Amino acid sequence: MSNSSTDAPLLSVNNLEVQFALRQGAVTALRDLNFTLKRGERLGVVGESGAGKSVLGFSIINLISKPGSITKGEVVYEGQNLAVMNNNQLRSIRGNRIAMIFQDPMMTLNPVLTIGDQMVECLHAHRKISKAEARAIALDKLQQVQIPSPDTRLDQYPHELSGGMRQRIVIAISLLLDPDLIIADEPTTALDVTIQAEIMGLILNLCEEHNVALMLITHDLGVVAEVTQTTMVMYAGRIIEQGPTQDIIHHPRHPYTQGLINALPQMATPGQRLNQIPGSMPSLQSIPDGCAFRLRCDKAIKACESVVPDLQIQQTVQVACHLYAPETRQASSLNTSQTDAKVGGLINE
Amino acid sequence: MNTVNPTANKKVQAPSRLSRFLGSHLWHSFKRDRVAQVSFFVFLTAVILAACAPLIAPFNPYDLASIDIMDSEIPPSWKDAGDERFWLGTDAQGRDMWSTILYGTRLSLTIGICAVMLQAFLGIIFGLAAGYIGGRVDSLLMRMADIQLSFSTLMVAIIVLAIFQASFGAELYSELAMIMLILVIGIAEWPQYARTIRASVLAEKEKEYVDAARVMGLPTFRIMFRHILPNTLSPILVISTVQVANAIISEASLSFLGLGMPVDQPSLGSLISSGFSYVLSGAWWITVIPGAILIVIVLVMNLLGDWLRDVLNPKLYKG
Repeated sequence: MSNSSTDAPLLSVNNLEVQFALRQGAVTALRDLNFTLKRGERLGVVGESGAGKSVLGFSIINLISKPGSITKGEVVYEGQNLAVMNNNQLRSIRGNRIAMIFQDPMMTLNPVLTIGDQMVECLHAHRKISKAEARAIALDKLQQVQIPSPDTRLDQYPHELSGGMRQRIVIAISLLLDPDLIIADEPTTALDVTIQAEIMGLILNLCEEHNVALMLITHDLGVVAEVTQTTMVMYAGRIIEQGPTQDIIHHPRHPYTQGLINALPQMATPGQRLNQIPGSMPSLQSIPDGCAFRLRCDKAIKACESVVPDLQIQQTVQVACHLYAPETRQASSLNTSQTDAKVGGLINE
Repeated sequence: MNTVNPTANKKVQAPSRLSRFLGSHLWHSFKRDRVAQVSFFVFLTAVILAACAPLIAPFNPYDLASIDIMDSEIPPSWKDAGDERFWLGTDAQGRDMWSTILYGTRLSLTIGICAVMLQAFLGIIFGLAAGYIGGRVDSLLMRMADIQLSFSTLMVAIIVLAIFQASFGAELYSELAMIMLILVIGIAEWPQYARTIRASVLAEKEKEYVDAARVMGLPTFRIMFRHILPNTLSPILVISTVQVANAIISEASLSFLGLGMPVDQPSLGSLISSGFSYVLSGAWWITVIPGAILIVIVLVMNLLGDWLRDVLNPKLYKG
């Protein structure tokens, strides 16, 4: 990150690798992930389906479902490495210090328990307080998420509420224990557009108000541009570009990020087909050698075929692409002048 | 939308359970279903009569002093040879049939319900554990269930009860008969529950609310019993009604074979059995009346189970 602050980061992920042990062999869902998150900072994680965004969300609280596990690296939260903690220690962090919001509010609330019961239960799992106190806290949080008549909501069941209302309740539940970090995994994907804006605005306000860090997992670049301060673009389990959101949105450097931004409907000429990135993301079992994106990349050079690009610092952002690596540029200029001209052309743009 | 309700700080009482029940689909459907109403009414009558047997019954069939062998095999009171003291006649030992049937129904229902409670208890714990924990625990428990199911309940019960009777003597057996029947029927049938519950747990645990509960940091035990179990309750309720009926039949069959309740504390099954040798000599009532009552109880429980299954299955919603 460009503007380094003196205080230690809230969360730092170092060399994280997550593998799924399948019958055909281990599949690596995340590799060499490095990033930090400061208190109150809002980070957007962008990528296509299957890029590993959701796995990243779950691996931060070390809750990857069965065949998967963290095989390398560490997730340091306030000095504690969550990757090596046992379940009891983790339970005191989950929900308590790090909360999570899921995509579909229709599914994340238990259909047979009232809203109040679910909130009280979450509080009781972490604090020794009476039921009345817990209900009072629950009521307070429901007011914070601006639910009309919160007192009657406490005794309603999830099916009695609309989708937007339920997502507000899910947000209220995530705020119950005043966490330091909220991981929101596509929190607005299941909602219609008008409600989306309301819910995103609510999340943004609450995070600013309580100085809560937010990790927003989404494939909506518009939301990322509005809400987050830093952005991380993922492709096939790796970070390919990260830096301040404004710089990434306005000056995308990686061909993939450029493609994503070009693919936004706003970028298309009216009456023309929408821009798209050709092909689709390779499955994790068959990632090509070298750069995982090279088969879909129209700017691929020789080095892309064999060498996995590392993150290079380019002004304010880090980008994993051979086009920006000085040594590959020299090497490729020795090989063919044609590619050199191509790269030069791109960089001059 | 964005104004916060000023009265929101006062605590509001949850709507009462009764009003919730009266507004439910269950009650709505019950009001419209004649078969369910009649079945429920018959079942409730049987339960009340059985529960109040000592108050209602004109004689105490367990009290040997009040039984006169001279009163044996008197036909029901509406027959020519009937005696008005004995409404449904008497059995071969001179016991009043009406009193004996009341006490017998009480025993049968108690054994049936307790055995099913035991089945449900074992089945819920094993089924939840197998479904939620999965892996080796699942394989172990389900293979146990398979092995158990490959022996029929009656066969297991006959072997266990016969061995018990042979090794501890008939006297101790007759004291412990009820508990033994509950244990044997209860333990022999737990796989029915465990399988049903495991199947619904497997479906439930993939749902996002379980992930959400884990993300909240709730302990595994609480997730299993408070979040997943209530979501599997409808199949549990449905099989419970059928299982009570099955348990009553099992008990009756065992008693009929002489391995159930002893003759001096007759259940419906042992009554049917004790009258069987007199059917051909004309004393049909000793067997037929308790048999009819047994059939009616089992039938209404199955009808209730059918109705419950329809009501609790959202895919069969009939409005």
